Amino acid sequence: MKILVTGAAGLVGTEVCARLNRNGHEVYGLVHHVRTLVGNNAELIPGDVTQPRLGLDETTWQTLTNKVDLIVHSAAITDFGRPRELYQAVNTTGTAHVLELAAAAGARLIHVSTAYVCGEQDGRILESALDAGQRFGNHYEESKFEAELLVRKAASDGLAVTVVRPSVVVGAARTGVVREFKNIYVVLKLLSEGRVTAIPGHFDACVDLVPVDHVAALIADVVEKPADGLTLHAVGSSVSMRHLSDVLAEYPSFRVPRYVAPATFSAASLGDVERAYWERMLSLYESYFRRRQHFDDTVAAGFRGHKRAADGPAHLRKIIDYAVRAGYLGAPLPGVDEALAGVGR
Amino acid sequence: MILSEAQIESLAEQTLARIDAPADAALLLEGSIAEGFGNSRSDIDFLLIADQDADMPTMPTIFFIDGRRVEIRTRSVGQISRHLLEVGRAKTIARLDEHLLNRCQRFLRGYPVRRPDLIEKVRENVAYDHFAAVMTKWWAEYARHSVRHAVMLDALGQHDQAAVWARAGLQQAAKSWAARNGETYLEPKWLSLQLDRLAADPLVARYWQTDTTADCIRLVADLGVTGCADTPDRLVVERPREVTTWQIGDRVHLVRDRQDVFVLGAEAARTWRRIIWGRPLTTLGGDGDLLATFVRYGLIRVSWKGAAIAPRLPLAAPLGSVTPAPAMTQPILSIGGANPRHPRAVDLLPLPAKRFAAAAMALVWGNIMVENAVEDLRGALDREQWRVAALATTRAVNGGLRALLCSYGVSPLPSDPELIAGLDLLPDPQPRIAQLAHQLTSGGGDLAEFIAAVRAAAGGEAFPSSFDSADGWQHTLDIGYDWLRLGAYLDQQLPLDEAQDLLASGGAQPHTKAAR
Repeated sequence: MKILVTGAAGLVGTEVCARLNRNGHEVYGLVHHVRTLVGNNAELIPGDVTQPRLGLDETTWQTLTNKVDLIVHSAAITDFGRPRELYQAVNTTGTAHVLELAAAAGARLIHVSTAYVCGEQDGRILESALDAGQRFGNHYEESKFEAELLVRKAASDGLAVTVVRPSVVVGAARTGVVREFKNIYVVLKLLSEGRVTAIPGHFDACVDLVPVDHVAALIADVVEKPADGLTLHAVGSSVSMRHLSDVLAEYPSFRVPRYVAPATFSAASLGDVERAYWERMLSLYESYFRRRQHFDDTVAAGFRGHKRAADGPAHLRKIIDYAVRAGYLGAPLPGVDEALAGVGR
Repeated sequence: MILSEAQIESLAEQTLARIDAPADAALLLEGSIAEGFGNSRSDIDFLLIADQDADMPTMPTIFFIDGRRVEIRTRSVGQISRHLLEVGRAKTIARLDEHLLNRCQRFLRGYPVRRPDLIEKVRENVAYDHFAAVMTKWWAEYARHSVRHAVMLDALGQHDQAAVWARAGLQQAAKSWAARNGETYLEPKWLSLQLDRLAADPLVARYWQTDTTADCIRLVADLGVTGCADTPDRLVVERPREVTTWQIGDRVHLVRDRQDVFVLGAEAARTWRRIIWGRPLTTLGGDGDLLATFVRYGLIRVSWKGAAIAPRLPLAAPLGSVTPAPAMTQPILSIGGANPRHPRAVDLLPLPAKRFAAAAMALVWGNIMVENAVEDLRGALDREQWRVAALATTRAVNGGLRALLCSYGVSPLPSDPELIAGLDLLPDPQPRIAQLAHQLTSGGGDLAEFIAAVRAAAGGEAFPSSFDSADGWQHTLDIGYDWLRLGAYLDQQLPLDEAQDLLASGGAQPHTKAAR
């Protein structure tokens, strides 16, 4: 098959390109800033999903509409703390532009969404659920939700679409290796270095961590075994705040945060430096410290070739070990300040 | 051999006459005398081999014949054949059991007394050269671990212990080298005689002249044991199973195996906090003595580039984690955790982890109870509500007694009506506190004196920190959260529902008018 992967240089996109290559497909990778992909044979096409026709010239657009059988849309802004307009432009409008290409090419679409389109609803989240009047924890979730609405509309108009919803994408299942340290890694860094010592959360709140290779594997599985009209949770294992506390305590140099009842947490009581870290960085993740969500993946299980990672604390330990080996965690490095400076840009 | 054939024959006859042996059984003289070692005090070891597949009992029978102690064991052809095949086919030689190897070695190198044909037939299950190669590798693995352990101890400045392990490694390397040269006798006690038989090789003379740790390590390599050169940069700090770090206020506590609690003095804590798993040991800097203590207590593990270092002496228990005598500091606990004896202390507490956490949380709660009760007392006195005041006084007394008992590790606590009588659970009698408590709960007494007496008995810091200032109170609450983390790790139920409510409410002080 001839397959276009948007966000080909992203965390998930790179893995997907490599797998599709290995499976013998002809892969075109739409990239924005990055111009090379390590360990990949994908043919790279510079583009911009925020622009009409993905910012492609007429010839390239025509070539793609003529050639492409399937599109994997993984281009997205996934880190937190950016302006709302940026999430809308990349994640929502970008999806609208990809839908236009899919329609023009008559291609199947695998849309990479997020399990967290469920927003702050607690309890068991079904793959079939989408609009429950939920409140969103951040602009990212909201933009991905709106993108899914567009995708569902296109599906009802006849487009062959599968939605794959990863939870929090982290390092590989066996090795913990990851190409970039974002999101949960930033949280781990701030907490383990004691930059923020108390967070408003519950011991039984939990997040789901999924290894990046498992997300890519599910997408590759769906390429071979179409799941048109279905939504699949690409989830891994649940990690509670208590697990987080216990696992951080296994590292002598790490600090373990205090969990303070959310109703009484006050950032004003923090010292100046800690408050700055809280307000500018960690508060972006605040609602994840009190959510009690469990993602049902019955539908995905019917397509998945791999075994779901079952032991959350063990995987958490693995990704932390890798981050320590890579030098991101374990000793105060300039990374936090750089990240702090980058927020809000 | 130190015995003649005639002597052996005579001993064999006398022994067989005393046991019920099958007529077609083989008999073997085995062990040190058969090897050509031994002396006038050495035991005579016979092995009776029944020509059958079913197992025979392995306990020896002991006789005293001609002034010598004679042991005779029985085994079947099937048993011995299975042992030999297990060794011959082993894939992971280092995991072979030393008793199994010992049995095989003694059989292969024994002196046949009856039915040599049967003995030879059973010996065909494994070639002696192959057995010698197995022993060479097996001893080399022992030597490797001992020397790596010595390199680690040396890198941490523990030179005397390093020398002991380097010497043990050298002895094991010599056993490996001897096995390569056909000398496979397992127990180290006859090593000198084994080496005498190989004295033509100059390595033997070097063995007896080698002394220092560095020379031992060099000779180990020359004896053919690879992978344990004096290269401390290969030592990596690794995470042991089930060791966690819990900071309570400023104090660092370690929980080992979810069972033992260690409290670190300030200097020890600084060294501990510098440890990063996966980093080379030599890059940690810090204090070798303290790091060596952490290794010794199993609080950190050191690998040789990822391979575990597990030194042990043959026929001895493996070198495991050491547990020191508990530190008997009294009282054991304060709000901020245990009290280390000195800045370099790595003190084991005389309480199991679960009881430690339970007592500490009850101690925090005792403090909060006192604070709460005193607030109520003040309000009641302002409004001349005497019965309310009496009840608040009793609660303040109970809170104080709870805190005092917990600070000595009493957990679970007696029920409130039995708290005064429960003072007899403390190591020293507290007659004045008991008297004041009785007076206060009977409408008299001096609460301030009671609190001062409890404060003195509980070691000051334990009780009640919240009285001193609003900051002190906030500190108590923050520390309550610190304890919660440890309690959650140990699957601990909070001591009281009220404590759970308090902490779940974010530490809002129960009875104050304005939120803090």
